[in-house]
Amino acid sequence: METVLRYGVITAFFISAVVLIYLVLKTFSFGKKSLNAVPRGNWKKGVFYAFGQGMMPWEKESAKNHLITYVAGFCYHFGIFAAVFYLLSLAIPFACGKVVINILQVLMAAGAVCGLGLLLKRSLKQFMRSLSCPDDFIANLLVDLFIVLSFLNSALMNLKPILFSVSILMLLYIPIGKIRHCFFFFYSRILFGHFFGRRGVFPRSQHQFKV
Amino acid sequence: MTKNSKHEQTYDERLDNLSEENCLLIKNKFKKLINYDFAAFLNTCVHCGLCADTCHYYIVDKNPKNIPANKLGLINKVFNRHFDLFAKITPALYGSKVLNKDMVKDWVDSLFGRCTLCGRCALNCTMGINIPYIIRAARGALAEAGLVPPGLQSTVDTAIEKGNNMGIARDDWLETIEWLEEELQDDVNDPDASLPLDKNGARLLYTINPREAMFFPLSISAAGKIFYAAGESWTFSSDNFDVTNYGLYNGDDSAAGLMSERLVESRRELGCEELILAECGHGFNSNRWEAPEWLGKKYGFPVKSILQVIADYIKEGKIRLDASRNKKRVTLHDPCNLVRLGGIIEEQRYILKHAVTDFVEMIPNREKNYCCGGGGGQLAMTRYADRRLKTGKLKADQIKATGAKIVVAPCHNCIDQLMELNKHYKLEVEIKTVAEIVAEALVI
Repeated sequence: METVLRYGVITAFFISAVVLIYLVLKTFSFGKKSLNAVPRGNWKKGVFYAFGQGMMPWEKESAKNHLITYVAGFCYHFGIFAAVFYLLSLAIPFACGKVVINILQVLMAAGAVCGLGLLLKRSLKQFMRSLSCPDDFIANLLVDLFIVLSFLNSALMNLKPILFSVSILMLLYIPIGKIRHCFFFFYSRILFGHFFGRRGVFPRSQHQFKV
Repeated sequence: MTKNSKHEQTYDERLDNLSEENCLLIKNKFKKLINYDFAAFLNTCVHCGLCADTCHYYIVDKNPKNIPANKLGLINKVFNRHFDLFAKITPALYGSKVLNKDMVKDWVDSLFGRCTLCGRCALNCTMGINIPYIIRAARGALAEAGLVPPGLQSTVDTAIEKGNNMGIARDDWLETIEWLEEELQDDVNDPDASLPLDKNGARLLYTINPREAMFFPLSISAAGKIFYAAGESWTFSSDNFDVTNYGLYNGDDSAAGLMSERLVESRRELGCEELILAECGHGFNSNRWEAPEWLGKKYGFPVKSILQVIADYIKEGKIRLDASRNKKRVTLHDPCNLVRLGGIIEEQRYILKHAVTDFVEMIPNREKNYCCGGGGGQLAMTRYADRRLKTGKLKADQIKATGAKIVVAPCHNCIDQLMELNKHYKLEVEIKTVAEIVAEALVI
């Protein structure tokens, strides 16, 4: 049974990847925007900025003003990456040293707490509820459950059948709901950096007029 | 609803009587206006809510409708329902909705009435979603069904029909330039000083906001005086002088393209090397960045803001300024379309550093500025005037905090809003363009 589920995880992973690629390709069917205006800045530097400095709290007011949410978001995502890595180590499988497992456990524990905290925020804050649809709650719950089970399996007990089952469910849900942003995030940040980089908004390209 | 009946009914009646055919028209146009950038963005929003208090509407009024993610959400719900495979199957999961009469009403209220397309939310979005440009696309879809709020649409219509958004007749324009030229000659004590019209082969073709000709002629004189002091070869066009382009705001690319094309043609006919845009935020964004896309062609000539030209004059020593002539404390407003969306950020600061003795920044400033509340066509849409004034409180507070006596705003739309804010919030400041400040400091 465990072996079947293990293959199920690998299959779900590939299905998820294929559907995500399909979704990205589908966006191309909406047509390309022409770019005829002469650039003022450097789009590559803009993209670099978008993935670096442009995400830092000292640059981004929304992050600075909501530092707890911002940090929780980071921890949550590191927890997810750690749990996915741990899942792969079980599904492929490959051995992880004790130190690696310990690091993963810390990340997963922190990620689970932050994920549940963000879910709580979404449930309790009126303005967050106004933004939310069922997908927001389902996606968050599924991922939280996945991290918690990964942590418990690594630290306390053998929960592989449940972990694999939840993982399959989560992997198949990725392209269906908002978790698809794991792919589209990079796409959007590139477009964002490209837009503002070309226009010379950042990084600032007008040093000759610096005062 | 036929095209004729569109004009016989009031705007609200048109919204109330919207047919399924109209909704289909909007949906189909929306699909055409979505490109792969937008489609990617619409797949990305995670409803994190961090954009909420970066929007001046939400900061002053905690109505959830003012949250940028909710404005985008209205578009996203329709996009998902009609164009996303999974949302088509299980719409309830995503809160997806068909574009029907009620949704169209929500679109109009939020996308026209609760957004200035300032782009501050985009800068602060966790994902980097270009929210204002998606909202503009949805506005364009509404325009297809004739659902642009009347004041905004009539501004576009006037510009298309009369050649400028104020409907200034050619003779009136020529007469205005004639008397301003006489004023300039008196001012610089030179009978040969001129405000040239249709001068073939001039290096620069200069364009203005028609409001300058109607209400703020001093800013035209100021630009003329600066060109005179720099010994510049420049000209106005007697036919196409309007830098504004409200097509940016109503989302109608073909109308927007038509207006920008006129300036391109005038430059070609007059054989000018560069197209120079007056202090107008959206005029700059339209003609510098968007028009080549609307027209689907690369420009073979530079399009610049007058601020770039003035900054170059100072840097190259073509004009000399005496900052001691402007001793009052000055602060600077950053127009969103010029700065955050246009990339003209440091030139105005460089100029003011040379033109005034006491310059103080608003906080936040540059690309992080707050919108004054007058952008996005809000000044033309009287039905949302109360909201506009209310959102302007943020800018009013910023101005008050600087203790400045003069607010410099390189945008005539912003100036109109700031003048109203000045009165409404009793700021007791003077509001000027950069050129006006420079003209006062010019050493001739």
